[in-house]
Amino acid sequence: MIRTLVYLDADLASSIALRYACQLTHIINMKLHTVHVEEPDHDGHVPGTGWVRRTWENTMLQTGEFEIAQLIKAEKSSCPRLDAPKMLFGDRENEVLREIQRESYDLFVEGSLHSFAAKKLFDKINSRLYRHIPCPVIIVKNLVDIEKVALIVRSEIESKKLISMFLKIFKGVKLKLDLVYCEFQEPEQLSSGAKKEINGTLSAVEEILVENQLPPENCLTIQGSPEEIGDALRDYGLLAFPLHHTISKKSDWFQLLGHIPSPILICWQ
Amino acid sequence: MRILAAVDQHPYSDRVIKDVAKLARNTWADVTLLGVGPKAMEIGKSSNCAGIKHPLAEKLRNYRRNFLDHFEKEDSPYEKQLCNYEFVEVKRGMWEELYVCRGARKDLKIVLRSGNPVKEILAQSQENDSDLIAMGCNKEGDCQWEGAINLPQKVANNATCSVLVVKEEKQIRKIVCCLDQERISQKSIEMINQMVTLYQTELDIVGLMDGPTLKPMVEKNLDAILKYYKARKIKAWIKLVEAASLEPFISQEARRSMMALWMGEHSLLSKMFTRGKVDKLIQRSKSSVLLLR
Repeated sequence: MIRTLVYLDADLASSIALRYACQLTHIINMKLHTVHVEEPDHDGHVPGTGWVRRTWENTMLQTGEFEIAQLIKAEKSSCPRLDAPKMLFGDRENEVLREIQRESYDLFVEGSLHSFAAKKLFDKINSRLYRHIPCPVIIVKNLVDIEKVALIVRSEIESKKLISMFLKIFKGVKLKLDLVYCEFQEPEQLSSGAKKEINGTLSAVEEILVENQLPPENCLTIQGSPEEIGDALRDYGLLAFPLHHTISKKSDWFQLLGHIPSPILICWQ
Repeated sequence: MRILAAVDQHPYSDRVIKDVAKLARNTWADVTLLGVGPKAMEIGKSSNCAGIKHPLAEKLRNYRRNFLDHFEKEDSPYEKQLCNYEFVEVKRGMWEELYVCRGARKDLKIVLRSGNPVKEILAQSQENDSDLIAMGCNKEGDCQWEGAINLPQKVANNATCSVLVVKEEKQIRKIVCCLDQERISQKSIEMINQMVTLYQTELDIVGLMDGPTLKPMVEKNLDAILKYYKARKIKAWIKLVEAASLEPFISQEARRSMMALWMGEHSLLSKMFTRGKVDKLIQRSKSSVLLLR
């Protein structure tokens, strides 16, 4: 069983992430755990020490707990196996990272609404949490049905790692899976076809998937600008993406990542 | 719903008739097809009562036929019912047997007006209490009406109701909908719903951020809008845009998508998006533009 941690705040992004994670439990043998971190003030100021501080922290946690409980209550009907959230106090990134390391979760899910400005996503990818996270991450940008999943193929070596992570979560699941190879071009030249790319990466990846009883329905090469390709990929309910922590903000790959409106499964390289 | 389709004799008006007919089929709207002629229009009264001598008169009749072709005769809300003799109370306590032709369930009016086209279109929309003015424009890139400078832009900026500017022959891939989520009206949400059905497209709902995050009320409303469309099986996506990036965002999206902007009296968008910017949007957008009010 896949053990998944869903991070929740009392906001729309978290609500969408929770609904999406609940959808995942319908297709994957998965147990959802939820966590919320109540942070001190933005300047990190914590009043007092000893019982004063503990009382203040408890009061903060109780307020947060009530809001998160409301959010979970709203999803209970579609996701009956949801337990009470784990409430933590402190720095969000540190606490979530510690929790993931302590409990050895297989997957981390969090909401981050699709944004025109890519900065927020870039900051997230470069955050301490993501740089040290030991498991794949799903960033839920929008609430979509998981009817079709795409594996984004970049190179054969990267893809092997991507597939091994992907199979750890999706092995044995009946999926409509496509393999997508992206070739970046100038705008206004979008094209998509079933042709295989020149260096044979798609064929090699297809072979590995077939060996693992997860044959893709289509192997596609999409050519266009990151913006156009991102738009063309919006039909997928999940896009598995190999990613290096060193990705540059101006790179076509990051631009593509920013333009994809669907949830992304990031498999770290 | 009351739709006013402003047309002339140029090909871009054909597309408007087609779109308005599809919209009317979904909404059973009362529709007025308005032709606005040149100022020095002469409508000759010939002996034949149907013989109005005006270049637009015949065109309007064609538009009516084209419009009605989108409906099955028996199901059409615009089809006149059978005529019959009926007693009608003409005065208190006095009835007269009259030959009565019961009207159609919905109105389809054909109106021809002369004068300044902008003024006439706006006046007709006021008289009809229209919910939507639909009009086309040429495809040369600056969205004009033949013989009238910036007509779609002027109507869009001055109308009190929603305005749809239909661009020619452009396949709409998605509708990008900038609503002011703090003051969202049910009417505008439904109008978007109709547009999505009309163009069979997906929907991007833009969440406008005045700061680094969304206001709680905006978030709440976005969630409600999302649930509304999901319940109607409309594929809706949320996209956050900072107020400072609104202009580049709109100019980028207008290249590929139909823009729908809520420009109500109290809307944040109408404050941020001035008349000049609306003009530019209508001129430069490659897809249709919908201004909601």
